Amino acid sequence: MPSLKDIKTQINSVGSTKKITSAMKMVAASKLRRSQEKAEAARPYSSRLEEMLSSLASSAASGEGIIKLLTGTGNDQNYIVVPVSADRGLCGGFNSSINRETFKLVKSLESNAKKVQLMPVGKKSRDFFNRAMKDQIIESFVDLNVSSTGYESALNISNKLQELYFEGKFDKCILVFNKFKSAISQEVTQQQLIPLDVSNSEKEEEKENSSNAIYDYEPDEETILKDLLPKNVSIQIFKVLLESDAGEQGARMAAMDNATRNAGEMIDSLTLKYNRTRQAFITKELIEIISGAESI
Amino acid sequence: MTTISFDLVSPENLIFNDDVGTIIVPGKDGDLGVLPGHSQVMSSLRPGRVMVYSEDKNLVKSFFVSGGFTEINPEKCIVLAESVVELNSLDKSSIEKEIEELGSNESKESEEQLSIAKAKLEAVTVSFYDKI
Repeated sequence: MPSLKDIKTQINSVGSTKKITSAMKMVAASKLRRSQEKAEAARPYSSRLEEMLSSLASSAASGEGIIKLLTGTGNDQNYIVVPVSADRGLCGGFNSSINRETFKLVKSLESNAKKVQLMPVGKKSRDFFNRAMKDQIIESFVDLNVSSTGYESALNISNKLQELYFEGKFDKCILVFNKFKSAISQEVTQQQLIPLDVSNSEKEEEKENSSNAIYDYEPDEETILKDLLPKNVSIQIFKVLLESDAGEQGARMAAMDNATRNAGEMIDSLTLKYNRTRQAFITKELIEIISGAESI
Repeated sequence: MTTISFDLVSPENLIFNDDVGTIIVPGKDGDLGVLPGHSQVMSSLRPGRVMVYSEDKNLVKSFFVSGGFTEINPEKCIVLAESVVELNSLDKSSIEKEIEELGSNESKESEEQLSIAKAKLEAVTVSFYDKI
């Protein structure tokens, strides 16, 4: 039976853990609001870029050079998978679900005899794949801090990807990231980044748009498309980074909320145990005194 | 219809959104003056000035953009720019310094930045109309 002092120290240590987790929860909540605002602010650009792209996409038949970002290389042997995780832990299943999903994806691609390379974003997935499939990592990006550095961080990743793409290092690029659904739920999503996935739901809509909007293009469609496609890759990555950042904060908030609640419950049960033990000691002492008095 | 709605958007946020009289946009093949009822044009941009004039032809805002795209239709003009700075927040001497630094650097990347910086310098030094 633990002594009173043992229980007391346990209560204290759980109490300080609770303080930490509830502080982390509050920090995450305020960060979440900021990340959400950022994601919100980035939306007009990406949606307009998509609109422009969709009205142009039809004009690109097949081609060489940059147009390949849209039409593909014509091969699908070499894949590059980009898992987007957080840099820090303590956010529930956020990172591990990304890693698990990516791992599954890589295995299934490999079983179809595809060659897969990895480009993890975020410390947690880098560390995981450094252990699991070290030789397949070609590049990794950590400490991005997308909420403070902004678009620059997305540009780095996008430049690297495009560089590799035009060197012919891969044919398809798939992003695996946590889509921000609400403050408490994220959904692991796969998105094909290169070549551009034209099987979007918006495609139907855009067909209608393009028929009634006849634009003059300056200098010409192809030139614009050549400028637009690399930007689109960067902006997609930027969007994903922002979503993942908001998701991370949301996940951390939920995880820390849970932890705080659990700590509270634990303190309650420990306090109960403490009181019982104390009562047991008192009773024992009383019995001793009484039986001692009787024997005299 | 005497005004046209104008959006200036950067990847990070929506910078300008209002009804204005005239916008001058630095198109790749030359500046575009956009008035209400402009024909439908889609153009890529070179680094340069975006000038916004009110309905009574006074300069409202001026920006420097480092390239991007514009989509124009009779009612609306959208500029998607990669990086946007307000023109009067630019400082001539610091741009000159930047050009100097970039000039000594001979990578492909800095070449690109150099051309942007040069355009920036031009945007600051070349005079413009406060009223059109």
